[in-house]
Amino acid sequence: MAELRAELVELLPRLRRFARVLARDAHDADDLVQTAVERALAHAGQLRADAPLAGWMFGILRNAWIDEQRARGRRGRVFAAAESGEQVADPAHGAPLERLAVQDAVARLPQEQRLAVALVLVEGLSYKEAAHIMEVPIGTLTSRLARAREALQAMLGERDGA
Amino acid sequence: MTFSDETLNAYVDGELDAATRAALEAAMTTDPQLAPRIARQRTLRAQVRAAFEPVLTEPVPERLLASVRGAPGRAGNVVAFQARPRPRWSWPQWGAMAASLIVGVLLGPLLLRPSAPQAPLETSGGRVLASGALAGALSQQLASSQPPGAPVAIGVSFRARSGGYCRTFLLREAQPLAGLACRAGPAWQVVALAQSELPGTGSGYRQAGSALPPAVSRTLDELILGEPLDAAGESTARAAGWKP
Repeated sequence: MAELRAELVELLPRLRRFARVLARDAHDADDLVQTAVERALAHAGQLRADAPLAGWMFGILRNAWIDEQRARGRRGRVFAAAESGEQVADPAHGAPLERLAVQDAVARLPQEQRLAVALVLVEGLSYKEAAHIMEVPIGTLTSRLARAREALQAMLGERDGA
Repeated sequence: MTFSDETLNAYVDGELDAATRAALEAAMTTDPQLAPRIARQRTLRAQVRAAFEPVLTEPVPERLLASVRGAPGRAGNVVAFQARPRPRWSWPQWGAMAASLIVGVLLGPLLLRPSAPQAPLETSGGRVLASGALAGALSQQLASSQPPGAPVAIGVSFRARSGGYCRTFLLREAQPLAGLACRAGPAWQVVALAQSELPGTGSGYRQAGSALPPAVSRTLDELILGEPLDAAGESTARAAGWKP
């Protein structure tokens, strides 16, 4: 368990980045990471010794995100700024405009496309690993990725052209 | 030979089998359309990755480290972390207890300063209390009339939902610290503390308030009842010894 905790600490920056792609709002994203860590520690027995921890954690975090989205839906709440397209950039981080534009475009993608983008483009996972985490066939993953890329090109291209 | 977008994507993602990759790379030398299509996808991949890259180098919030260590409590649940009497404290307990409110601050040097009377913080019964100049400023200093270079700058004062008074402050240490303290009997309990990015110069009434790090301003938002006190309200509260 001590070893798992140490590895989780190492993994936290990547988990935070993954969550930030999904949730956009930094506080919501960290809540997701915290939920995922708590679930992982509660179910540490289910981690196979030969399985990479990162993949297992991304899967848990993805499930936590989906649960959270459903719960928000039930409560009838509008999901953070992402869906409304409102800028919630933290001025303290002084993100350059281009980064904000890309983050904004990613936040406008449908959930499943955003997840594919997070796993493959941001985290650099293989198609096989990403499809496994998303619990879909590889063909489904690649077509979501293709649609996500088209949408991103359109959104970012539009902006450049404007 | 023509290549679909998905094939080009797979190439950029490093997912193409050796034979298709060789065919594609050969075609790139003869098909002038191919290279720009690939370059567009490469650029997009790099842009998306770069947009989220800075998250990796952000300091990890203490509450997440605490959750890995198995500490109880949820984010922002300040109340749960208050007043847990402990006969003695040790660093591990301390870490867990203080996790959600002390952000990015090494407390050791502040608590264990050689010149003990000067230390701005002390611990008592599992709580962090203001001490020395910080305690003095919290009790006496008015935001509306404080000297510009004072070692402690008071930000906003307000009534908490729980009834008592709380004040935000900026400690002008080598590494400036911003925090929030609430009146607890004769003492000031520090309920949030984080490193401040701004030097906190100037004497504007809300100066220290507007410079608050997110962890502190979130705590403020959770605690505050109504609006912050104005200069007259602050003065009256001080005259009453900060008794609600």
